[in-house]
Formats: sequence, structure tokens, C-alpha cells
Amino acid sequence: MFDNIKKEFSTRTLVLIPIAIAINIAIGELVVRLKLPVYLDSIGTVLVGAIAGPWAGALTGALANLIWGLINPFAVPFFYVAAVIGLLAGLAGKQGAFEKESPQWLSVVVGAVFVFSLTMFILAFTNATTDDTGFTSYPAMSELFSNYAVIFIVAILAGGAIGYFLLQKGGYAGIWGLVTGIVAAIISAPTAAYVFGGVTGAGTDLLVAAFRASGGNILASVMAQGAVSDPFDKMLSFMVVWLILRSLPARYKAR
Amino acid sequence: MYEARESGLHLLHPLTKAALALCLVVAGLVLPSRWTGYFLVLCVVFPLALWGKVFTPFLRSLWKVSLPLALSLFLIQSLFWGEGEILLSMGPIAFKKEGALFALVSMGRILLVMADFILFAMTTRPDTLMISMKQAGAPSGLAYIIVTTLQIVPRFQNKASTILDSQRSRGLETEGNIFVRARAFAPIVLPLVLGSLIEVEERAIAIQARGFNSNKEETSLIEIPDTKTQRLTRQALILATILSIVARIAWQLLN
Repeated sequence: MFDNIKKEFSTRTLVLIPIAIAINIAIGELVVRLKLPVYLDSIGTVLVGAIAGPWAGALTGALANLIWGLINPFAVPFFYVAAVIGLLAGLAGKQGAFEKESPQWLSVVVGAVFVFSLTMFILAFTNATTDDTGFTSYPAMSELFSNYAVIFIVAILAGGAIGYFLLQKGGYAGIWGLVTGIVAAIISAPTAAYVFGGVTGAGTDLLVAAFRASGGNILASVMAQGAVSDPFDKMLSFMVVWLILRSLPARYKAR
Repeated sequence: MYEARESGLHLLHPLTKAALALCLVVAGLVLPSRWTGYFLVLCVVFPLALWGKVFTPFLRSLWKVSLPLALSLFLIQSLFWGEGEILLSMGPIAFKKEGALFALVSMGRILLVMADFILFAMTTRPDTLMISMKQAGAPSGLAYIIVTTLQIVPRFQNKASTILDSQRSRGLETEGNIFVRARAFAPIVLPLVLGSLIEVEERAIAIQARGFNSNKEETSLIEIPDTKTQRLTRQALILATILSIVARIAWQLLN
């Protein structure tokens, strides 16, 4: 098994990793310059995973966080999340998610499913009731549908549109990105809740506040915030890497 | 982040400082009391910063990074803390004591991590750190990655800026509604990333031509002084780190 790991770390990979980390940081800042409501700070990590494999991706993620820690110490405790993102990106790469073109209807479905579940999640949270013993109960799905039918229909349409225009033929990459984002949100929530009390100084703190106000405890609110922003962000990141790899001249693809 | 000074702290072996940083962070996060963070920052990190003659830039950095976070942490935790004793109410919003207390305690932990990191970065030359890691047996690939990343991140940030400007001079719209801004993303990211990937090939060949892959022992241009006292101190610090983790586990089990 160690041979497989070693094989991933050729000289080219070692040269690629610092560049990928720099890409993470540069794009993360670009997105702030363009005032877009996403992070997109793992594109380099995903790229290494896609090109060099899961272990290289994992190392890139971990190192990227630790090095970014020199500029912004908040990133440091989340290094394991970045490592997992790189790992999953590598697995996605092995499955060819970044090379195949998906049919466009798949992208539409992915977008629709994503926005739909997001809406359901948010509505469930904001309609949760806590009784006197501190037990929080969430409304049943059928209840939510009947009360908010219009919102759900709009969500499905909007999701489909997002899938069509943003994901286009990168549906497979998008699905992997979505899954990665969900995993990332889950595993980062405990650290965000314990070490930071749910506040990291990013704009997403407002989301955490909103969830807290509607009655969630810290861990649940942080998870909810993650569930809203992470899957979308990772889905986009994977899609961007798919786009990049498609645009590479054929000569460089032969490796 | 490094600030060159003539000080005892700067003359210490990089690994000693690394061991110290690690021990402080672990102790601060793991020992039972709620106030270890503040205690360690005031009684250990501050005096060390004074010894290292970097107290002013250190304080400035720490302040710059922690103030926005402390503010938002305090606001969100006090205002949105479920049930609690109200300290101050202004119309519909109320500050709760438990929330404020929680924010205070969390801030102590965060301050410790940041102060520790900042002090370490300010008093340790990155290249000496890498050399000492290599001498201690760390894989040279790792050392290469870290050093190179630190060198090229600023370069990449500039590159992204340059590409942004040149695309704008070619008519790319970067202001306006979100769709316009989102469409500006690809024309900036693609040249950046594709250009870098092509660079990977050249760099890999260049470092191979300079003997990167040889396993022979290297002689270093820079000599890093080390003393027996420091070696013993490092071992003691690592021991202390392990002991504090054990102490916490024991305390947890006994309570």
C-alpha cells in the first residue's frame, strides 16, 4: 500500500503542490475582490486530488490550511477538513469525474435536488419547536410541503436553472463536489462549534446567528450554516476544476 | 511575517521554538481551567515577545486579527444565546450573561492560538526552520513544499491581480449585478491556473537538473547553532505536551 502512496508523490507532484496552495489563496482572495458569495478557496486542493491522486490531494489540503494559518490563524484547526476534501477529490479523479461529460439533464437534476434539500433543511430548522423539557421537534416533511408548496416549486426550478447554467456538462464533478461539501460541513461543525463557538469572522456568521435565533444549539446551527454554504461551494469548486482540466492542451493531459 | 531582531529568542534553534509553540497551544486548549488561554498569553507569550524584541509588531498583528473576531463573537453569542440571564436590553434585543461569558472564554483560547502562531512566525526564519527539519529527518519533499509555497504565494497574488487588470483593460466587466461579476470569474481564473500548470513541467525539470532527487546528504550554507540545554528543553516540552493531554483525559474520566 505504501508504494501506491509513494507513487503519487513524483517530482511533478511535489512541484505542483506549492503552486496549488498558492492558487487556493489567490482564488480565495479574487472571489472576495469580485464580491461573490462563495469561498472557492480549495480549487488548488481539488486540482491536485484530480491530477495526482487522493493522498497528494489530502496532503495539499492539510498543508494549505496550515500555511494559510500564517496569514489567517483561523484556518488552522480545520486542516483535517481540507485534507478530506483533497482525498475525496482524488477519489473523484480516479472515477474519472473530471474527464467525463455528463448529460445536461443530469446537471439540471443535481441542481434541483440540491436546492430542494437545502430549502427543506432551512424550513425544517426555522419551524422547529422546542417544548418545555428542552426537546426540539422538527416538523414532518408532509407538513412542510403543504405549508410551503410554492417555495418548494420555486426552489426546484431555481435549482434546475443553476444546474443547467453553472454545471452544464460537469454533472459528475458537480455530484462529487456536492457530496464532498456535505461531508466537509459535517466534519467541520464540531471544531467550529467547540473551538470558535460557531463564529469565525466570515460573513457566514450571520447564518449561524439566524439559526441560533430560531432555537438551534451551537453545534446544530454551525452544521446548518455549513449545510447551506459548503455543498454549494464545493460543488462549484469541483466544477471549476472540471472546466480547467477540459481546457488543458492535450499535450499536458498525457501524464 | 518574519521580523529580524538581535535577540535571545531569535538565536534559539528553530525546533526549540516549534516545540514551545506546540506545547503552549496544546496546553492552552487541553488543560481543564477555562482561563488557561488568557493566563498563558499574558504570562508566557507576552514575556517571550518582549524577550524577542518584537512586542510592538506582535501586539499590532494580534490586535488586527483578533479585534473583528472578538467583536462578532461577543455580539453573536450574547445576543443569540437561548435562555439566559439578561444583562442589558435595548428594546427587542438583549445581551445575555451566559453568551457573553462563553464569548470571553472562547476568545481566550483563540487569542492563545493566534498569539502563539504570530510569535513563532515573527521570530523564526522560514529557511532555517526548513533546514532544521531536514536535519532532524523530515522528508525533504515536505521541506521543499513548505518553503516554495511561502515564496510563491505573494507572487501568485500579484499574478491574479495582474490578470484581473489586463482582462479589465480588454473590456471585462467586474462590477455590477452578481451575474456580471460571476461571469468575470472564469476569464481570470483560467489563465492563472493554466499558466501555472504549464510552469509545473518546467520547474520539475529545473529542480531535477539541480539534484533534487539525489539521496546524498546535503551540506547547508547556513549553520544553525544548537546547545545541549535546548535539546533537553525540546524533549521536556514534548513530554509536557503529552502529559497535559493525559492530564485532560484523566480529568475528563474522573469527572
